[in-house]
Amino acid sequence: MIAVLALLAGVALGLWLDPTVPAALQPYLPIAVVAALDAVFGGVRAKLDRIFDDKQFVVSFISNVLVAALIVYLGDQLGVGGQLSTGVVVVLGVRIFGNVAAIRRHLFRA
Amino acid sequence: MSDGSGEGRRSARAFTPDFLTELFRNPLDPGYADAAAQRAKTGRPARPGWSVGPVGLAVIVLLGFLCAVAYRQTMAEEPGRAQARSGLVAQIKQRQDETDVLSARADELRAEVNRQREAALGGSQAARLRDLEASTGLGRVRGDGVVVRLADAPKGQDVISGANVGPPQVLYLDLQAVANDLWSVGAEAIAINGQRLTATSTIRNAGEAILVDFRPVTGPYEVSAIGPGSMRERFDTSNSALTMRKVAQNTGISFDVRDADDLTLPAAPEPRLRYAEPAVSPSLSPSAEVEPSGSGTSPSPSGGG
Repeated sequence: MIAVLALLAGVALGLWLDPTVPAALQPYLPIAVVAALDAVFGGVRAKLDRIFDDKQFVVSFISNVLVAALIVYLGDQLGVGGQLSTGVVVVLGVRIFGNVAAIRRHLFRA
Repeated sequence: MSDGSGEGRRSARAFTPDFLTELFRNPLDPGYADAAAQRAKTGRPARPGWSVGPVGLAVIVLLGFLCAVAYRQTMAEEPGRAQARSGLVAQIKQRQDETDVLSARADELRAEVNRQREAALGGSQAARLRDLEASTGLGRVRGDGVVVRLADAPKGQDVISGANVGPPQVLYLDLQAVANDLWSVGAEAIAINGQRLTATSTIRNAGEAILVDFRPVTGPYEVSAIGPGSMRERFDTSNSALTMRKVAQNTGISFDVRDADDLTLPAAPEPRLRYAEPAVSPSLSPSAEVEPSGSGTSPSPSGGG
């Protein structure tokens, strides 16, 4: 419950502050969001598996976002930015799907 | 992440060459299992229910923030794209207007040149020149003739039932056929939507648009032709007229031919003259050098654009 409230607070904060993203960081924002989503679904699944750990959640969130941004940055420097970010999205998407499937099994037993 | 108890499982979870299978089978971060094992070993209890520690809460706030910012960013980029597009459209319009002004000016200057030339030349020679200009399309002509009107089928009228295509449209081939048949039945001058055709004119399409001499024309298309009085009947029995009548019946395209008196067809833009140039360097014959004057060698845009 508190977690949902915190999420809503974050959204409200983002809409209210309306920060301008520097142009240099703009390409990394969508990838960072996908990476963050991966960390969140991992956390929810761990919670349902009763093995959730705060430290692990925080570390995986931050490292996911940073590593995803780093990969896209490296790809840009190597001239394969588009393909590499597709790869990142595919891998993260697979993980999200796997975790969501596990969550679904927990919640609906199906 | 953490080590100690994980040694046994770590070997089972070792990085296999079949990385993708591993990824599909076990999408959860292994760190969670490690942390749980660590907790079980030290006897620290797991957090009950759905509560999250302060740092976790901060991360969740950050997540919401991130999503909101990304959303705002994506929304903010949308008008930028639309702006770029409308800017381009405005530029195209502006350039077209500039072209129109310039070609009007060119026409003016050409009329001036013609006047001067006629003043300078004798009467019979000037008349001969005028005749030549009229027949080659370089001079404005007036006379009686026919107007062939072709138009796309109206939108929303689904003539081809069930087929998921747009309304039937006049093709550049139709305009070509009509123009060619008009020439063959004796037309002396032809213009399509006010674009005079000459011996070097082209009727082509670029995507959906039809270009006459590289200028786009839009429907309804009016092919005006000046010629002898018998032209109307002869054109009515020509191949293209028969074909187009049939096509019009079947598809809903409109096609009609009517007599028109006192048509005025504008002059075609000045053709760009092309010169032959020697392929080898003219070291042997210095007399073969191309004269620098003349529009053929200069890349300046002539009236065609």
